[in-house]
Amino acid sequence: MIQLQNVSKSFKGSLAIKNLNLEVQKGEILGLLGANGAGKSTTINMLLGFLNPDSGEVYINDIDTNHNSQETRKLIGYIPENVNLYPYLSGLENLDYFCKLAGLKYSKNELENYLTICGLENKAHVKKVSGYSKGMRQKVGIAIAYAKKAKVYLLDEPASGLDPLASNELSILLKKLASEGATILMASHDIFRVREVCNRIGILKNGVLVKELYSKDVSANELETLYLQFMQN
Amino acid sequence: MLQIIKNEWRFLIRSRIFLGISIAFISILLVSVFLGNYQTRKQEQTHKSAKDHVRQQWVSIDEMNPHSAAHYGTYVFKPTNLLNSLDEGVNSVTGNVLRVEGHVQNEIVHSEASQMQAISRFGKLKPSLLLQYIVPLLLIFLAFNSVSDEKQSGRLKLLVLQGAKPLQIILSKILSVWLYGMMLLTFVLSVYSILNFQSLTTDILTRTGLFFLSYTLYYFIISAITVYFSARWQNATLALTSMLGIWIIWTIFLPNILMSSAEKWHPLPSRNQFQSAMKEDRSKGLDGHNPKDKRAIALKEKVLKEYGVDSLSQLPINFDGMRMQADEEYGNSVWDKHFGNNRKILRKQKQSFQLGGIVNPFISLQNSSMGFMASDNLHHQEFLLQVENYRRFFIKTLNDKQTFGGSKTGNWRWKEDNAFFKSIPDFNYKPTQVSVILSNYLLDLALLILWSIIVIVIIYFGTKKIQIV
Repeated sequence: MIQLQNVSKSFKGSLAIKNLNLEVQKGEILGLLGANGAGKSTTINMLLGFLNPDSGEVYINDIDTNHNSQETRKLIGYIPENVNLYPYLSGLENLDYFCKLAGLKYSKNELENYLTICGLENKAHVKKVSGYSKGMRQKVGIAIAYAKKAKVYLLDEPASGLDPLASNELSILLKKLASEGATILMASHDIFRVREVCNRIGILKNGVLVKELYSKDVSANELETLYLQFMQN
Repeated sequence: MLQIIKNEWRFLIRSRIFLGISIAFISILLVSVFLGNYQTRKQEQTHKSAKDHVRQQWVSIDEMNPHSAAHYGTYVFKPTNLLNSLDEGVNSVTGNVLRVEGHVQNEIVHSEASQMQAISRFGKLKPSLLLQYIVPLLLIFLAFNSVSDEKQSGRLKLLVLQGAKPLQIILSKILSVWLYGMMLLTFVLSVYSILNFQSLTTDILTRTGLFFLSYTLYYFIISAITVYFSARWQNATLALTSMLGIWIIWTIFLPNILMSSAEKWHPLPSRNQFQSAMKEDRSKGLDGHNPKDKRAIALKEKVLKEYGVDSLSQLPINFDGMRMQADEEYGNSVWDKHFGNNRKILRKQKQSFQLGGIVNPFISLQNSSMGFMASDNLHHQEFLLQVENYRRFFIKTLNDKQTFGGSKTGNWRWKEDNAFFKSIPDFNYKPTQVSVILSNYLLDLALLILWSIIVIVIIYFGTKKIQIV
């Protein structure tokens, strides 16, 4: 579970997040929509424990990230916009390396199984990552989090730059993870993808959560209209 | 940490560019070791053949007056040490031939630099040249973006999220780069050991071990600072520029500035001043070839009294030989005074320069490298001292034979036979013991260790300030 309680954060006097209250339950996918600089990445970085809030509290599964970042990071899987893996290693080797860093030792079969579950074709497992598309790297990134048995997934613009097929595969995968009990927060510009994947949607503007709603309550077009209204006001 | 180090090495092995550079550089190192070894072996042969030739000339003297033989003299050649093939030190500029004769202490001549322009300009291609200047540059190029690249690509976040601590990441990167330097160093010493397997003594192995330790510490310092800059600075270019600046200051500017300062703080007399002072002091002593010299007359009176006779012709000995030896001993005391003073000044200069290691670990590396490879100025001074001691023994043996060999005063036609000249032993250089060398260079090793500790402390505390995002 993810909880942000009255969280504020500023950089050199400029307010990035203002009194943010947010909660994402187990098995739920929350989409954070917002323009560039709205505070989406700052929120994710606070959840990752890389930034400390100026005020308020941030919890991952009821553990304070501010004081126990080592503990909370064990629970988190993070998929950035660009999953930059080691280009001289194959997808399998990258997964093996990141798993070993987390103290997890899997057999080759187990590693291949994780990659397959996350949608990477078998023939790509042993190919060098330098030849991977962005979507393939995203899949390895998700496999790293999945193999880690992450309870919470944080995704920062994960569908950005993906072709429709890869983007659709990502949506299916995220829904699968949520159905298995994962808590997912996804920051994105992509209104339609967010509407399709997420259970709940939050709109961030200048560090303030201006709107929170359930996906089922709006159509994609209504969501777009609503989003544009908030952005223009 | 082991996982990160293994991953870094996978990059080194799989990167074609880096593999190509490594193979090319290892080939150059191989050439330098072979060349250094070849030059040293050739010098050894030349030294042996020159030494044998000069000795043969000496033992071939059929009959000769002993004091004439002292003027005839002999030559001593500076021996080449097998270790010099790794670090030439000051050897190519100090000269290697010394004429040994009566009444005068000659200067060592025929330096290689004076005979070969390439050596005087660039020095010889020895492994130390590459190990001191080029390997650190390679380490800098290898390390300057090691952390910044992880940061810029976003992988640093992933690494930390997977449980790696920033300090662990930085230390692993340092060790990976440092191990690369160690691999090159080990390669050089392994090839050297294989080439000289049959000549390896405990002394050579101990000195090589200390040589290895010095470079190990210096490579750690270079690798650690570069990786730390890569982690602290915002971009890799800044880290590279900073490290190249440090490399230039450490290897080019500071050694020259500090050596000039040491020479200014403890100035040696100029060549003219030194020779004039020696000549003046020498003129105050006894002149062995002038029987009318007042000091010679005083000595004569003293000897006549000791033997209880009235004239030199009544003496059972040859007073000419005794006078020559008195002249020699006075000359020795003058030499001891002036040359001893020069040695003291040189030692002070050396100690001041060694302290430069506080601000520049390269100085400590260079000092200890030359010292442990027996090619520093202290070894050279020790050689000169041993030659002078031999000269004194050599001349005294000849003068004593002139005095007590059975001839009478004034009989300059008296000659000794070949057996006597053969009986005078040849000069035999005794290498300085490694314990003496270690005490001379303990300060340099201590400063390299101190630098390593300081760098570790800075990294330990500085890493806490590193921003992951």
